[in-house]
Amino acid sequence: MKLALASAPTAVESVRRQPAIQVSNLSIVFDTKRGQTIAVDRVSFDVAPGEFVCIVGPSGCGKSTVLNTIAGLEVPFEGDILVEGSPVHGPRPDVGMVFQQPHLFPWKSVRRNIAHGPRMHGKSKREANVIADDLIAMIGLKRFADAYPNTLSGGMQQRVAIARALANQPRVLLMDEPFGALDAQTRAVMQDNLLELRDRINATIVFVTHDIDEAIVLADRVLIMSAGPGRILRDVAVKLPRPRSSSIMVEPTYLSLKKDCLDVIRAEGLRAFNQSDAS
Amino acid sequence: MQDGTSAQKEIALRADGRNRRTDSARLGRLNILVGALSLPLFVGLWELASRSGAVNMVLFPPPTVVAAAVLEWIRSGQFLGDLSASLLRVTTGFIVGGALGILFGILTGQFPVVSSLLSPLFHILRPIPPIAFVPIVILWFGLSEAGKLFLVVWGVFFTVWLSTHIGVQKVDRGLIRAALMLGTPRRQMLQEIVLLGALPYIVVGLRTAVSISFYTLVAAELAGTFAGIVYRIEIAQQNMQTGQVMGGLAALGLISFVADRLFAALAERTVWWR
Repeated sequence: MKLALASAPTAVESVRRQPAIQVSNLSIVFDTKRGQTIAVDRVSFDVAPGEFVCIVGPSGCGKSTVLNTIAGLEVPFEGDILVEGSPVHGPRPDVGMVFQQPHLFPWKSVRRNIAHGPRMHGKSKREANVIADDLIAMIGLKRFADAYPNTLSGGMQQRVAIARALANQPRVLLMDEPFGALDAQTRAVMQDNLLELRDRINATIVFVTHDIDEAIVLADRVLIMSAGPGRILRDVAVKLPRPRSSSIMVEPTYLSLKKDCLDVIRAEGLRAFNQSDAS
Repeated sequence: MQDGTSAQKEIALRADGRNRRTDSARLGRLNILVGALSLPLFVGLWELASRSGAVNMVLFPPPTVVAAAVLEWIRSGQFLGDLSASLLRVTTGFIVGGALGILFGILTGQFPVVSSLLSPLFHILRPIPPIAFVPIVILWFGLSEAGKLFLVVWGVFFTVWLSTHIGVQKVDRGLIRAALMLGTPRRQMLQEIVLLGALPYIVVGLRTAVSISFYTLVAAELAGTFAGIVYRIEIAQQNMQTGQVMGGLAALGLISFVADRLFAALAERTVWWR
């Protein structure tokens, strides 16, 4: 509200500087059979425009829940979430999402899956197909443009899912363990693909994973979360040179960074273990 | 001791593996041969049994007599009338019952309020065998075609309703979330995602309903009518034309077999992405 009241030049200035995503004091409480469970406890963080942020944490720490909330899919929460300066009330066109499962529409070909978003936003069939074909070329699946999802491998399906999310040209791309279901080799290839893709699209990316290596290879910043209730333990800046590829994983700077992260995770793990032991 | 047995097992397994390919090829050929012989063998034995004098030939006529009865049935022109009367009942009942089933399945599957209102009622009515409705249908509709239609529709409706309902409910939540994130408006979710997601279930329900529509046709025609395959079977029975009875049964089996096969072929095209 203050922003709207401010004089015009200041408003423009603040819009330019404002983070792509602002999460402040986000708490999420689930009702379970045993009463209420605090899934996420007063989590706050900002993501700058164009930044690539990874959230890592053990399963059940609420990292996916945070992502779903930013996406507008998780309804009841406390706190404030602003995307591009405006509060989140539900799914919106400037936010795209890639899930752990590709969730491709099985009855649509690769091209029509990718064209779905533009079609829903009122683009003509031809315009949507042009957008789709560009993205198909970008993910290297030209030969499979007319194939149905069930004929593609897991990695290919996830590439299509990414392209489908990008078809709406989102300002923010949310990725919920998108490579979690893939085998190690495919995952490494997908990580490199994503890094290449990232240089060509102009989106802010928040990427959730439980794989610390994946997080460091991809991100500008890694947020380490703890479980039960979910909190942010540490905000680690990854100052490794770009362009990167997964081969960076043997560099000394990489390894010391990874050690820092693992120390935080180990300390938290021990604390949680002792706590559960005591109770 | 344990090592010894496991080694023996492994040797046995390997030997098994070596022979399996030739064995399975031989078995496959044998199966095809036996399969081809199945029907002629059965018909031949039947012919022999009937003519051997061990059974009463009037009650258990041989296939040649049955064939002659069927030919006579076709030549007299009655067959065409019976066939079209029965097919008309089955198809109309199937289409009406199927359409209603899909409609209500979508309503109860998609809207919890509608489901709360109708599902308890449907679940009580559904297990009653349609044949049990014959007496009351005669009271309500007499011998008119409306009564026949009612029975077939009744039988088809609940099967299609239940499978559609389940299909709509089982639509992958992930697909709906993905569609939401891509900007699919909620009011378009039905046509874009739910209907197609439920389609495989609907098709299975419709296919089950094909054979159910034939069961209920039997009940409907036995309840009293003036033409139809089952009607002809009943008339032939009253006149002790056992050959005609068996011919009618064979015709009924053949028609329902063809209907099922046609529907299976159609179903494969309906769910085009499989």
